[in-house]
Amino acid sequence: MRHDPGGARIAELNARYRHHAGIRVLEHALTDPLVGRIALVSSFGAESVVLLHMLSVIDRSVPVLFVDTQMLFPETLAYQSEVAAALGLMDLRTIRARPEALAARDSEGLLHRQDPDACCALRKAEPLERALAGFDGWITGRKRFQAQTRAGIEFFESDGPRIKVNPLAHWAAQDVQDYMINNRLPKHPLVARGYLSIGCAPCTSPVTAGEDARAGRWRGREKQECGIHFINGKPVRGPVPQQEEAEEKKVNVIVTEAGFAPDNHAGGFVPLEEWRGQGALDLPADCDPASLLGRLDGPGVIRIVFGSFTDGRGFTVARRLRMMGYAGQLRASGPLIADQFPMALRSGFNEVEISPAQAERQPWAQWRASLDRPAAYQERLRASCEAQ
Amino acid sequence: MYEYDAFDDAFVRARVAQFRNQVERRLSGALTEEEFRPLRLMNGLYLQLHAYMLRVAIPYGTLTGRQMRQLAHIADQWDRGYGHFTTRQNIQFNWPKLKDVPDMLEALADVGMHAIQTSGNCVRNVTADHFAGAAADEIEDPRPWAELLRQWSTDHPEFQFLPRKFKIAITGSPRDRAVTRAHDIGLRMLNEDGAAGFEVSIGGGLGRTPMVGKVLRPFLPVADLLPYVEAILSTYNLLGRRDNKYKARIKIAVHEHGIEEIRRLVEARFSELRPLFGGGDQVRLAEIRTHFAPPVFESRSDDGFEAARRSDPVFRAWTDTNLSPHRQPGHAIVTVSLKAHGAVPGDVTSAQMRLLAGLAERYSHDDLRISHEQNVILPHVHKADLPALHAALLGAGLGTANVGLISDIIACPGMDYCALATARSIPVAQAIAQRFDALKLEHEIGPLKLKISGCINACGHHHVGHIGILGLDRAGVENYQITLGGDGTERTVLGERAGPGFSAEELLPALERLIAAYLEHREGPEETFLMAFRRLGAAPFKAALYPREARNAA
Repeated sequence: MRHDPGGARIAELNARYRHHAGIRVLEHALTDPLVGRIALVSSFGAESVVLLHMLSVIDRSVPVLFVDTQMLFPETLAYQSEVAAALGLMDLRTIRARPEALAARDSEGLLHRQDPDACCALRKAEPLERALAGFDGWITGRKRFQAQTRAGIEFFESDGPRIKVNPLAHWAAQDVQDYMINNRLPKHPLVARGYLSIGCAPCTSPVTAGEDARAGRWRGREKQECGIHFINGKPVRGPVPQQEEAEEKKVNVIVTEAGFAPDNHAGGFVPLEEWRGQGALDLPADCDPASLLGRLDGPGVIRIVFGSFTDGRGFTVARRLRMMGYAGQLRASGPLIADQFPMALRSGFNEVEISPAQAERQPWAQWRASLDRPAAYQERLRASCEAQ
Repeated sequence: MYEYDAFDDAFVRARVAQFRNQVERRLSGALTEEEFRPLRLMNGLYLQLHAYMLRVAIPYGTLTGRQMRQLAHIADQWDRGYGHFTTRQNIQFNWPKLKDVPDMLEALADVGMHAIQTSGNCVRNVTADHFAGAAADEIEDPRPWAELLRQWSTDHPEFQFLPRKFKIAITGSPRDRAVTRAHDIGLRMLNEDGAAGFEVSIGGGLGRTPMVGKVLRPFLPVADLLPYVEAILSTYNLLGRRDNKYKARIKIAVHEHGIEEIRRLVEARFSELRPLFGGGDQVRLAEIRTHFAPPVFESRSDDGFEAARRSDPVFRAWTDTNLSPHRQPGHAIVTVSLKAHGAVPGDVTSAQMRLLAGLAERYSHDDLRISHEQNVILPHVHKADLPALHAALLGAGLGTANVGLISDIIACPGMDYCALATARSIPVAQAIAQRFDALKLEHEIGPLKLKISGCINACGHHHVGHIGILGLDRAGVENYQITLGGDGTERTVLGERAGPGFSAEELLPALERLIAAYLEHREGPEETFLMAFRRLGAAPFKAALYPREARNAA
């Protein structure tokens, strides 16, 4: 069941539950057909146990999504297990970034220092976006008192195609403390050490008396929200799709030693598994070039697709094809950068296919400049004795 | 000593210009941080806990006095007046500014040095026996081969974006001082029926999954080296895993596919690649060899040496620990300890660098070496010069007589510098060295390799320490695990974990109990800790580490 999370429905929900307590809002959100399939998203942070406890009282089988950014405090992981067991949560789903995405974009685990937004997107927002794919709405523990950026939140909000439910929107800090004490709920161990709002270990620090509870998040940076909720006041989560769609319609750029040119190749490329031995061939970088032995007269043009610019398999595949005697056109396609142009040419490629956006950001002058380089060691070492 | 020819010089200068341009393009936004990262890494520039870190290669660990002086100049001009020698024959500067880095690289190029491929997923600085060209037990000086490999791997178009970093080590002696079995490729020179060859092992490495390298080819004719290494890299580039950084090293490929399958693939590749090498590499090798011709040694009396040994106990203690046999009569290899008790292992100030440069020019044929054990070596010193050399070293705080002893500790930078570390290692090393110095026990204990890593990535090589210490984070508290019986020589054994870890406070007393147990159980001073461990097994040492458990069991 998919809903139109349009303004009218949101307004109706907010009006309907205006004077209800947080737990009533939650209870109704779980059953109201206007909301649909719903999950609770929890960080198992300093105050999360309140909402989790409410949920466990109403329905322990509701899915609880826990985003493990793999940068969390060990205390958070221990606390997560403790709380889930204590409350008897029946459908806890731990969400993580895909290993290949981490390998490609943050292999050293240091992205958070250069670009915390990109890190949040990679480790938190994108995995959550994927995990929420099957749901019509999600429940959060956000409260108005927490930050300026949250001062206007309501019980129900539109969030792209989904509804976002904030049962504790109107709670004050003291309400949270009272609820935890009255219900004898376990505290996150870091709270005693001055952490009043708890995110990932590298970007969270304790707060001192008088500071805002969230002051310890991304301390020293302008950043206030993790990207699950708001950026510049607008709900943004995951990659922005419109831009990519626009790019696909434009023609890719072919880079050769002569310069940039539009991609004039007509007729497309046939993937290896459908290839009949004739015509332009598309090879993934993880193919075994040996499988083409004896069939290299057929293609005329071969395109090797690089999944990312840090995946250097395509260079070896190209060189092997050349060594096997392939003499036709050899194209590298993918997010290669100008600095890799000499490597591509020296591995046996004739040309590189890049997106229009890449061509704009790294114009021909940069590709041209990368060719200004002295002779390579490898050629000298492979030369014959006479040539020296 | 290898000196750059016009080809090398043009190459490194172009590379500096290229990097300068890349920095500008990063600042202008033409390169994203994601795109810039591998480019800066392949030029030695890391982002560490507090700042950038520049890692400079010391190829095969060899430096001239002039090069050492330039490192001192760089430390003063663009850093904080000191450098840190690593466990892979590099020097690291911990506080450079991004905008200064191209100038630092230019200064390196001025003396024939570089920072190329000292990090990133490419072939790293090739390391070699630090006693090369001087050791009494050497078959052949391995450094010309290491230089040949450096040239071959530099900017190799196929191998700049490998699944993971790739380390090669080479030794020309049957005694392996380069820990070759702990490298992605280990090359050990052999002599069979008068023909020189390499035993090629692959898939060694420490880190979070420590493995001892396996022999891929028991005897490779020396002239086949480049095509064979290229065949290994080419195979690995396609086979190595790219879905998980922690499973991307070649050791995992060997583990998952088996050495037989890897050998089949490499040999097939080798047969294709061998014909492409037309002898140009051997011409280069012959040319490189002329740079490594042994110095002209003097033959003069070394009477002063023996006399000084008799009259000066401090000098005698130093000669007992810090000298190694030289192939040339009347000479010795001097290891200068950078492990003064309480000092940071591997750290050296610019003043010390300049002093060492001068001493090398005066006493060691202008030859300095950096060992993977983070010490500086003067490889060719006439014994008659040793008293004067020792006096000069003492005056600069470099006269510590502890090479090979318990305070000659290898330690990674640990949590004080490194973003990956989970525990401190330098303060731990300092505390241990000071404690055993205070006990005046270390000469009594004798040869003992103690190595400390501040996280499971094992940069301190704790797996191959006779005693290894691994610092971990257990729920926010530092916890130190002890391994016993590791050995980084040609026998290469990974240490075994003794048991549960110790807190920082418990660690020193535990080590004292461990050493007391060794002194109690050994057959005599000639039986080293490692020998005693091999004879007795782990039981008496574990009992000393965990007395309560031992009592309960009894």
